[in-house]
Amino acid sequence: MSCQRLKNWIEDRYDLDGLRGFAKHKLIPVHRYEVLYYTGGLAMFLFIIQFITGMVLSFYYIPYFEQAHKSIIEIVTKLNMGWFFRSLHHWGAQLSIGVLFIHVFSTLLLKSYRKPRELLWITGFILLGISIFFGLSGYFLLWDERAFAAVRVATGGAGNLPVIGGFIKSFLRGGIDVTGDTLTRFYAFHVSVLPILTLILMGIHIALVQYHGMSVPISEEKNVRKHVPFFPNVLYKDFIIWLVALGVVVTLSILMPPEIGKKADTLAAPPENIKPEWYFLFLFQTLKLFPGDLMGLNGEMIAIVLISLGILFFFLIPFFDRRSARGEKSPVFTWIGIIYTAYFIVMTIIGFLT
Amino acid sequence: MKLKFSLISRRQFLNTLFGGWVVAFLSGSFYALLKFAFPTLGKEPDFVVLNAKDFLDIPFNSVKPFAWGGKLGFIFKRPDNKTVALKGVCTHMECNIAYKPEDKKFYCPCHKGWFDMDGKVLEGPPPKPLEFFELTQEGEKLIVAKKGIKVELPKA
Repeated sequence: MSCQRLKNWIEDRYDLDGLRGFAKHKLIPVHRYEVLYYTGGLAMFLFIIQFITGMVLSFYYIPYFEQAHKSIIEIVTKLNMGWFFRSLHHWGAQLSIGVLFIHVFSTLLLKSYRKPRELLWITGFILLGISIFFGLSGYFLLWDERAFAAVRVATGGAGNLPVIGGFIKSFLRGGIDVTGDTLTRFYAFHVSVLPILTLILMGIHIALVQYHGMSVPISEEKNVRKHVPFFPNVLYKDFIIWLVALGVVVTLSILMPPEIGKKADTLAAPPENIKPEWYFLFLFQTLKLFPGDLMGLNGEMIAIVLISLGILFFFLIPFFDRRSARGEKSPVFTWIGIIYTAYFIVMTIIGFLT
Repeated sequence: MKLKFSLISRRQFLNTLFGGWVVAFLSGSFYALLKFAFPTLGKEPDFVVLNAKDFLDIPFNSVKPFAWGGKLGFIFKRPDNKTVALKGVCTHMECNIAYKPEDKKFYCPCHKGWFDMDGKVLEGPPPKPLEFFELTQEGEKLIVAKKGIKVELPKA
């Protein structure tokens, strides 16, 4: 079938002109902060890399605690390009989460969450939470000493939440302790529950962006001089950025392949100077700030409750920030945004250095 | 008695009936799913029985691990020659702890918690002292039990 006939075949059945009209009218405003528009597309591209590399890794990984660690060593040492795909999956994950944090903090600081885009913020926030859980569950699949301690601490920390804590903890662990059952459960989260939720939420998130169009920061609303078409101007720029990102991921994967520690032993102490993945460092440092006993109360529980409240406020910020919802400048929330961003960056750096 | 007007219309009646049926069906299914997805929780053991030979001749000022259910337990021969048993799990975030013979202290590497030989918190974030067990010997057997639990082994 020639191209023309194929085209006619499709056009007989579907309204392509409608799509063309949409593509033509999808315009992107040009202003000082437009570069931040690309972080969302970049995150999506990195997610696609994660999906593809994850699919091929799951052909070989064995989600059973006696064999999991060995199966990864075999993927890395015995399979064609196994080391490369594991490395890509690792670095793709690191970069995805890094880009997501940039995406969420720039949304926060530019107040793109304001009316009418509250649902974009909500779906994006849940996607960030899912991505972090992706990170933790994927990390645990290594079944090495560090992963084991990390999951004990993370699930144990969730267990400190009042009322629902115990419930969450045992649901995540699949029992009272972190065991082989936890590995099977985390595998299920990592390869079936979370990917499906991600696809659904990402679909909603992207559809909402199409519906609302790009948000322009309040301070820039008067400075937008022109709009450029998404097809092809912005899309080509997207492609350039994706290509650079792919180059970065591949370079990191080749030059710095991730390690795997000693196989987890439920009866061994974790190694010295153990640290969680970098995106947990701000939580890790926060926990260290609290003494075990705070005015006769359990300091750890207070820490977890305060952290949860901080995150809840962050989640609901579009509903607290009434001024920007009316399209006015809202300096209080600019400061709140700066404090959140600075806290995250400073605590992560302190955690990294100490 | 026949009412002149019905209190609810036929449509309302049917909608409520079907709506109720849908809600009941969905919540029943959801409940069943949740019941399945949640694990049946085991519990920590009240006691474990070890082989005395393997544990009693360890050197002074050292520990030997044993499995306390799914968790780590230590048989600890103190520098003053007393043998005790404790749970080798930090009271802060449940990381396994290690014994540092040179300092005569227990140490948790996750968040830098330190405990003395009696399990008291010396430094760091742990909120509670370490949990110690009762240790009794019956012939070849070494019984490690939670405080306050009476263990009667079947006579062989």
